[in-house]
Formats: sequence, structure tokens, C-alpha cells
Amino acid sequence: MMTQPQILIIEDEAALRRFLVPTLEAQGYRVEVAEGGHEGLRQARTHNPDLVLLDLGLPDLDGLEVLRQLRGWSRKPILIISARHQEGEKVAALDLGADDYLTKPFGAAELLARIRVALRHAARPAQDTPLLVLGALRLDLERRDVSVDGTPVHLTPLEYRLLEALARRAGQVVTHAQLLNEVWGPAGAGQTHYLRIYMGTLRRKIEVDPTRPRYLITEPSIGYRLNGEGSGNRPGPEME
Amino acid sequence: MNAAKADPTGGPILVGLGSDARSLRLVHAGFRMASERGCPWRVVHVEVPGWNTPEESDQARVWLQEASELGAEALWVRAPSVVSGLLAQARGRTPSLIILGLARARGPWDRLERSRIHALLGRHLDVPLLAVPLDGDAPREPRGDVFRDLVGVGAALAVILVLAGIFGAALAVEIGFPALALVFGLAIWFIHQRWGLATALAGVAGSLALYAGVFPGPARGLAVGDWPHLAAFAANQGGVLLLVHLLERLRREYRAGRIAQAESVLLMLLGRSLARCSTIEEVAEVLTQRIQGLFHAEAWMRLPAEGGGWRSYPEGRPAPPCPAPEQMLPAFAAAPAGEDPLAPLHLAPCAYVPLGGPAGPAGLLQLRPAGGGSLPQHRWGLLQAFATQGSLALERIRWVEAAQRARVENETERARSALLGAVSHDLRTPLAAIQGAATSLLLPEGALPEASRRDLLAMIRDESVRLARLLGNLLDLTRLESGVLRVQKAWQPLDEVVGSALGRAEREGPLPVDVVLPADLPPVPLDGGLMEQVLLNLLANARRHAGGSPVRLEAWAAGDSVELAVEDRGPGIPEAYHARVFEKFFRMPDRQGDGGVGLGLAICDAILKAHEGRIWVEDRAGGGARFRLSLPTGGPPPEPPLETGP
Repeated sequence: MMTQPQILIIEDEAALRRFLVPTLEAQGYRVEVAEGGHEGLRQARTHNPDLVLLDLGLPDLDGLEVLRQLRGWSRKPILIISARHQEGEKVAALDLGADDYLTKPFGAAELLARIRVALRHAARPAQDTPLLVLGALRLDLERRDVSVDGTPVHLTPLEYRLLEALARRAGQVVTHAQLLNEVWGPAGAGQTHYLRIYMGTLRRKIEVDPTRPRYLITEPSIGYRLNGEGSGNRPGPEME
Repeated sequence: MNAAKADPTGGPILVGLGSDARSLRLVHAGFRMASERGCPWRVVHVEVPGWNTPEESDQARVWLQEASELGAEALWVRAPSVVSGLLAQARGRTPSLIILGLARARGPWDRLERSRIHALLGRHLDVPLLAVPLDGDAPREPRGDVFRDLVGVGAALAVILVLAGIFGAALAVEIGFPALALVFGLAIWFIHQRWGLATALAGVAGSLALYAGVFPGPARGLAVGDWPHLAAFAANQGGVLLLVHLLERLRREYRAGRIAQAESVLLMLLGRSLARCSTIEEVAEVLTQRIQGLFHAEAWMRLPAEGGGWRSYPEGRPAPPCPAPEQMLPAFAAAPAGEDPLAPLHLAPCAYVPLGGPAGPAGLLQLRPAGGGSLPQHRWGLLQAFATQGSLALERIRWVEAAQRARVENETERARSALLGAVSHDLRTPLAAIQGAATSLLLPEGALPEASRRDLLAMIRDESVRLARLLGNLLDLTRLESGVLRVQKAWQPLDEVVGSALGRAEREGPLPVDVVLPADLPPVPLDGGLMEQVLLNLLANARRHAGGSPVRLEAWAAGDSVELAVEDRGPGIPEAYHARVFEKFFRMPDRQGDGGVGLGLAICDAILKAHEGRIWVEDRAGGGARFRLSLPTGGPPPEPPLETGP
């Protein structure tokens, strides 16, 4: 069991902990629980968990502050749990280095999918995975080669850089600011419309039906996500 | 009106403004042309030292204020002449058009007036001029005040009389005395026209002295030194004097008429500004500002405060101490016998005028004349009229506020009971199902077959999703309406929002949608998350009512907005409910049990309003509902970025 990843839950609401702990333990994860921000930071230092589930709305310490301190010394994945009234803080948390987010209420399948993606991403850095296959989309980062259904797709340098930035974090949300910085550099700051225009052309080249994107998923007001499952069913609230 | 070509360079429109009431036409002409062309405009009053009376300056100030309220940049310029003042302005920033008033020429001086325009044209100013005719039925009165510039006028007088004397003498050699008298008479008439009665009297005296002293007749073969001749000359000049006197009286009456005309325009302007005010503070601002300009007095309104005591407005400016208003108010009810009923109550250093209410005086207008003097008597009537206008505006605001309060209370009450109704039903139903299912599952082992257990679990999941959606909607609507939720607009193509909304809608189950999106749809500034919510709500409605028939989603560019329509083949919405479906908690009477709570469209409406757009519903041709929304683009989109680098 020592090889199973350890997950630290920093969450003050007992009901949510009651749901999270057995759900994660049933999947074989080792689970540690902290009820507040200070305790969470202490536990994180003691256990050095493989992944942190962090609630933004903690009573004793601002979730963003916990995140900032964690990121001060740890590169391990951090998933944010936010309530609806903290939507604005989601972008701030992601830009501070959180890996992904879940909005309350969420289902178990969605939670587990996000945890899997984050752990996989942490275990295999992007440089080691030059080949990405998502459904019909095939992306060879080493040879800078993109094809859909075996047909090569010609991308402009900017479009390629955009796709590459998303592919390196496939399955995870990448904020507007992060994409702009990675693709355009500091000059791109705040120029979200750049991004939208290039995302539009990229979709027209890659997606079968650009009005119903399967790969390049929009996270409204936050950023984009390259669909890591490649199935057309993006991870999201369980409605079905 | 002279034709003026539109200048494509788009410089400001420059309006040269005089002081009389008719000048407002120029302001309005400038306003109209500036709005037509969408360019800035400036209104300039050129003060020529020594030419404007204080009242005229005050009026010009009010016209300038009116112009700046209409959006003009108002400038007050001092210059040696109107032409040089206007030229200085025109050189500073080349205007696209200059608008000037053109009085109908009645005499030589009006022709001089006209020549201003020629003078401007002659300065190689490459700007079109527009001369707006002022209704020039009344003669232009001579401007200026003789005592203002005594030396200059005296010198001019001497020159005119000497010239008239020399000219008259030269003529008199040929044709004798009548010509000399006539020339002097003309000089007197000219002097009167230009400088008024006092100067004309001086002119008469001067001409007599010249006649008697400078032309000693016998030496020139003329008997002008003789007494009868001198008497005839004096009688002649006396006649001129009488004429001058009558003209002077006419002039005074005309001036009074003009002041009355200006005052009625001032009252009209005040009334109009007050009509736009919606708070007591705004009324106080407008009223005191106008009073300051016209009466040269700082002013405050003293009104009863809520919960007793008095409060002075505008609140930003501390008012000087004032005796208790409740003690002063009775004094206004009856003016002391023999005193002007228009007189303000004067208690140094301030003067007080009552502000009326429904039952007698209800407040005070407090004025502190600049320099500690008193208010000019000829303006008392106007001041009282101002106070009355202010009182009426205050009264109107009180009633509007009362009506507003009643309406808000009514609406809050209605919303509260609707919310209670919705909460009691829509929250209890899923809660009851969840509680029931959970307690069943907790029954002793083996009481439920495995299939039923899974069924109940699925129900708990579905009902909690429904509950979460309802609460989310309620929260969103509250935050939208209270302004907590800020709309974060960014330029983006609509297809991205449509795509992500379709993706989310399809996850709730298959939904056939025909999407018609032109490739060249212009980007729109919008909040992606909120607009996705709008589309999601419309698609959810279509799903609920269309019964599996395909939904059509179409967008197109329409001028400076982008429009979108979501159409279904459901039962449609009767015209009587076209507006009401966007109200909170409104549900069509025959569709109560369809799972909706009557919040979706209210949220759409709130989101569209926050985007300065609009949403409405129509009947779809061939049956069904057609929800349409219009989003303003608000100008050209930012330039698309250039592809650079490798």
C-alpha cells in the first residue's frame, strides 16, 4: 500500500469530509484530513502528500494564502474546491499555481477524474510524453506534428504553440493569463481577444464540428482545457 | 442661412455667442450640428472690455452654462474685439465650422456687425462660416456706457464735431447756414446713436460753442455771429435734442423689454434643468448655481430634515449660520404694509426668500450677496420666481419619492410572496424525495432489492442536482440584481460561447440543434460565462417544450449589434405572456408541473440588461417560440493580432 498516492484534504465542512474521505479511500488513496488552513499547512509539511484538495473558503486562513504558502515549497498537484460565490477567486488560484478546480456541488466521478489527471500529469512531466493521442487527434510534440484521423494538419507557429501549451497540461484547465504568457510572452498580458481569435482558427482546423468542440473545451471566464479523455465527454458535473 | 460645407477633418465646431436672449439660437444650432456630425463643439463668448453691461455679461454666462449642459466646451474670452477673440480661438485648434449670429441690418452699425463675418473671412481663415440669422425686428441698441471710457469718447466727440464743423463750414461757403445746421444735426444724431443721451447733450453744447465761437461770421462774409442766426441754430439743435430724448426713452423701454425677454428665457432654462433633477441635492445644485451666476450671491436651501431640525443643501458646501428658520417663516406669511412684497428678508450678511410647500412656506433660500451688499432691487422678482420654481421641483421630488417607495414596497412584497411560494414548493419537492430515498436506504439490510437501491440512489443524485440548479439560479439572480456580480466583458466571437453552451446542454441528454453561425460573425464584447448561461437556459427551455423536435440556433450581424435566435417547435407562448415570461417566478398557467421554476428567463433578461442588450420572444412562423436576443457591439472590435515569430 505504500505505493498508493497520499491525498491531503483541507476542508472545514464536516459533511463534505464525510463524503470525500470514504470515496477516496475506496479508490485506494491514502487520505489525510485538515480542518483549517494552518493545520493543513502543518500536515502538508509533515506528510508531503502527492496531491492536495484545498477548499478556498476556510475559516481561519484565506484559501489563496494557503495555496501561496504551499506553492512556496511544493510542486505537487493542488486541486481547488470552490463554492459558487468564490468563482472570481478560481482564476486567481489557478494563476497562483493551482492545477485544476472543482465547483461545489460536484460528483464523485468528476472528482476522481480530476485527481487521476492531476496525478498522471505530476508523475509524467510533459517533456517525457512527446506523443499525445486524443481520439482522432494525434499530437507529436517532438516532431511538432499534428494530425486528425491520420491527415496532417498544418498549423501556423502561433497556433502550434497554443495547442502545445494546452497539450502539456492535457485534461487540465489553463487560464487565459497562463496561455497568453506562454504563447505571446509578457506582451500578451490582458489581450484575451488574441487568444479567442487563434482558438477559433485552431478549432476550425482540428475540430470536426467547431461549434461543438470535442478537444478544445472553453471554461467560461477562466480559460481552456484540452480534453484529456478524448472521448467527447469532457469531465464536468455529472448530470446524466 | 449661408451654405456651409461639412468639413471632413472633424475639428470642433466653434460658436461665437453674444449676450442677448436670441443668442440661444446659436447654441442650439451648434448643438444640432455637433450631434449630426458627432464632433466636439465649443461656445465662445468674447468679452470686449467696456462694451457689455453687467446684466449682459450675466446673461452670457447663463447661455454659456446652458451650452456646457448641452455638451459644449464653454469659454469666456477677453479680447480687444470680437473678431480678434474669435480668431485667437480658431487658431488654437482649427475648427471645422464657425457659427455666428447675423442680426438683420437696420442701420449702418448693423452693417458694421455684418462686416465681422467679412473680417473673419478676410483673415485667410480656411474655415467655413455659418451665419445664423437672429430675428432682428427690434433695432439694435447702441452699446456701451459713456462714463466707462470718458477720455476716448470725449476725444471721438471732439473729432466728430470738428470734422462736422470743417465740413459744414466748407459747405456753408457755398450754400449757407441750413447746411451747417444740418451737418451739426447729423453729428449729434450720430453721437447719440453711438454713445447715448449724455454725450449727445455734450455734443449740442459743443456744437453751439463751435458755431458761436469758431466761425466768427463777418470775416467770412457770413452773418453767423448774429443773434437771430444763433437762436435759429439753437432751436434747430433743440429739435435734435428733443428727438434724442424721445429716442432715449424708446431705447430704455426696449432695453427693459429685452431684459424681460431674457428673464423669461432664464426661467425657462431653470425650469428645464430642474425638471431633470431627481434628488433634493440635485435641485439645490442647479438652483444655487444659477443664482450664483445671476445674482452674484452664494445660495443654500434650508429644508426640514427627517427626524426634526434643519438641513442645508447642497450638503457639500457649508452654509453660514442662520437664525432658526421656524422663527423666520411666519415673517414671510404677511409682508409688512408699504413694503415691496417681492423684497427678500434681509438679515445681514444674508438675505432669505421662502420656499413654498403644500401648506405655506416650508423652507428657506439663503443668499449671501458677494461683497456683503444687498440684492439689486430690479432682480427681486426674478429671485422670487426662481424660489417658486425650486419649490415646485422639491414638491415634485417628494411625490416621486413617495410613489417610488410605494412601488418598491409593493414589488418587494410581491417578490417575497412569490419567492416563498417557489421555495415552499420547489425546494420541498426534491428535499422530500431525497429524504425519503435516504431513509429507505438506511432501512435494515436486505429490506430493498439491489435494483431498487440503485434507483433510489440515482434519484438522490438527480434531485440534488435539481436543487443545486435552483439554488444556483436564485443566487445568480440575486447577485445580478443587487449588482454584486460584475459583468466582465471581453471581445469574443459568439461561436465560442455557443459551442460551450451546446456542449453543456448536450451533457444533460441528447438535444438536436441546428446551428447556423456565419463564419464572418463579428466579435462582441460579452461576459462568456453569463452569456453561456443565457444560451443554456434558452436551450433547456426548448428541450422542455419542444418534445424532441429539433431546435434551431441562428446568429447574424445587424448593424452595430449581433442578434441571435433560438427557435423551437413547441406549443409556443401566447402573445399575452410575451413580456411576462421574463418576470421572476412567472410560469405559464398550463405548464406548472414541467420542472421549471420561472427563473431561467428572468436570469436571461437580467444578464442581457447588464450587457445593454435585450431579449424578447416572438411567435415562430409555423408554430413554436422564437427567443431573440440582441447584443450591442459598441464600436469596432480591436485589431486582430498579427502573427509574429516562429
